[in-house]
Amino acid sequence: MSELVIEAEGLRKEFRTRRGELRVAVQGLDLAVPAGGVHGFLGPNGSGKTTTIRMLLGLARATAGTMRLFGQPVPRRLPAVVGRVGAVVEMPKFSPNLTGRQNLLLLSRSIGAPDTRVDAAVESVGLTDRDRDRYKSYSLGMKQRLAIAATLLKDPELLILDEPTNGLDPAGIREIRDMIRGLGAAGVTVLLSSHILAEVQQVCSSATIIGNGRLLASGRVEDLVGGDAVHRISVPDAAAARSTLESAGFVVAPDSSGQPEGTLLVEAERPAEVTRALAGAGIWLSELTSMRPDLETVFLQLTAADTLGGHLTAHTGPDGGRS
Amino acid sequence: MIALLRVELTRLRWRRAVVLLLLAAVVIPALVLAATAWNTRPVSEAERRNAELTVEREAEQPYMQRQLKRCEAKPERWGAAGGGADEVEAACAEAILPQAEWYLTRSPLDLVQEREEGSAIAVAVVLGALMLLLGTTFVGHDWNSGSMSNQLLFEPRRARVWLAKGLTVLAVTAGFAALVLAAYWTGLWAIASSRDLDLPDGTMTEAYQQVLRGAALCGVAGLGGYALTMLFRSTVATLGVMFAVALAGATLLGVLGVPTHHWVLPHNNAMAVLVDGIEFTVWERPGCDGGPRVPDRCVERITAFGGAVYFAVITLAASAASLASFGRRDVP
Ligand SMILES: Nc1ncnc2c1ncn2[C@@H]1O[C@H](COP(=O)(O)OP(=O)(O)OP(=O)(O)O)[C@@H](O)[C@H]1O
Ligand SMILES: [Mg+2]
Repeated sequence: MSELVIEAEGLRKEFRTRRGELRVAVQGLDLAVPAGGVHGFLGPNGSGKTTTIRMLLGLARATAGTMRLFGQPVPRRLPAVVGRVGAVVEMPKFSPNLTGRQNLLLLSRSIGAPDTRVDAAVESVGLTDRDRDRYKSYSLGMKQRLAIAATLLKDPELLILDEPTNGLDPAGIREIRDMIRGLGAAGVTVLLSSHILAEVQQVCSSATIIGNGRLLASGRVEDLVGGDAVHRISVPDAAAARSTLESAGFVVAPDSSGQPEGTLLVEAERPAEVTRALAGAGIWLSELTSMRPDLETVFLQLTAADTLGGHLTAHTGPDGGRS
Repeated sequence: MIALLRVELTRLRWRRAVVLLLLAAVVIPALVLAATAWNTRPVSEAERRNAELTVEREAEQPYMQRQLKRCEAKPERWGAAGGGADEVEAACAEAILPQAEWYLTRSPLDLVQEREEGSAIAVAVVLGALMLLLGTTFVGHDWNSGSMSNQLLFEPRRARVWLAKGLTVLAVTAGFAALVLAAYWTGLWAIASSRDLDLPDGTMTEAYQQVLRGAALCGVAGLGGYALTMLFRSTVATLGVMFAVALAGATLLGVLGVPTHHWVLPHNNAMAVLVDGIEFTVWERPGCDGGPRVPDRCVERITAFGGAVYFAVITLAASAASLASFGRRDVP
């Protein structure tokens, strides 16, 4: 078992609304993020992701529960570990009338880091030629980049990113994704909260899904999305194909979703395994479509079930990648 | 902590509103100094000649001449009797004709008066207001832009953050006010010496003591503004609350008929600190309604020490509330 970088048990946060009502943003949340790799932190709007992150970072006080960063109890021992944690919480927040560079200088000097650290951070997010402009003149994407640059000032071992690609253009999203992936590969643990699930699925090794402030699912992404893909095949003789595949050990079912005669659903890791098995028996496919349950589907199922209180229904969507 | 203090000093320097306020804190006293110099300038030859001309013209007016004739006829009625005709004529002229001095009423620069009720007090008050705004806007901006949370991600020890910012505000406002007030007094002194006015002994010693008192008040104003803004988390809210308290407090006391003691009001205490104690006559007290001599029991005093205690208590209370609130409350 690997060491845990972030732990939370029974985490709870209550807010008083303006009218004095109690709003429970986080209720009894357990969180465990292992060291290394990129960990997705997912949940619908208002499910308590930002609130959880703010509690971990000492910006908000937990109503109940315990938290640990690098094994140290926080917020009590936060000063001891905060130097190893970089974070972007929700929107980038800087002084609008200072330049991007001045904003970073103030932060890096407050931890006694040399000013050269700022140059490196600015360069690694591609802001070098705009860092002497006022922050308020930045586009949203540039503000996000500056916020990410700020997290790099500490040379962090843990990066907590709350929707870091919010407002970035496609090239920017890819850049940040590559950067996150690179950091993850370099041994930095990243907690990534994002609504772009295709993004998360591409970079995350594990994920936690929450809804209404509660844990819904947590684990490795492969485990969350389930095992093998399902392939829909069309063959001239469905019965022969079915017996061939079943004797080869595949799980096969007739497609009942109004498809023409001769259509089967086969579970297999790769489509090539199916074609090879059938070709060996002299059966040739006229069509093959692969469907893999993706994170988005799983997410929607889990969170819909959570909000509706209903049962999970097995359901798969077409695999965009056609892998 | 040293790193934090340095950072806050840099932040202060980089903030435009702060620079503008400091600029105003130089420009306004400079203008007041110039105005004081101009309003106390010595009477020039031209002015004197002008006044003499006016006086001569007045003297030639027929009613003046008639008046003069009457005086010469009955000098005892003007107290000009005695002596020969020449003497009577001179005495009557003096009693009746206008004098050039009457038209040259501008009083010369009086440093003691400037210190006790004049422009130096006004300058100290203006500086205090500017420093209060400085303390408020400096940290109001952190809350407004949300950059406070970013700062706490780098230094989560909130008491330290509060102290570093507070000490910076205190040092900068008090230090800057000391420089400006000292420069103001040096300016007054330079004007007085260039006009060959003789200064009573110890004038400048007392002046520089007032500089220190004024600087301390300005530091307290800056720190107080800062502490309240850390409590209310917005410049506008802080200024609004201060205004409301001043207005509502006075109105409420008035409506309730609670006698407002002089020592309750901040400006009386500020004055007491600046001029080393002030006195009031309490006319409302029985037996205190006038008369040529005010009996001692009708006089209330606020000493400089009393004023200092007043501000120390308010500032400490505001700072303690602010620090406690900042340490506990969630930061957006
Ligand atoms: N300061 C606050 N006062 C009152 N309620 C709050 C406060 N902050 C958050 N909440 C409430 O807590 C709940 C969780 O909010 P949070 O911002 O953590 O959600 P989130 O998962 O980050 O959502 P999103 O995906 O939209 O960013 C919401 O119902 C929100 O209204
Ligand atoms: Mg959020």
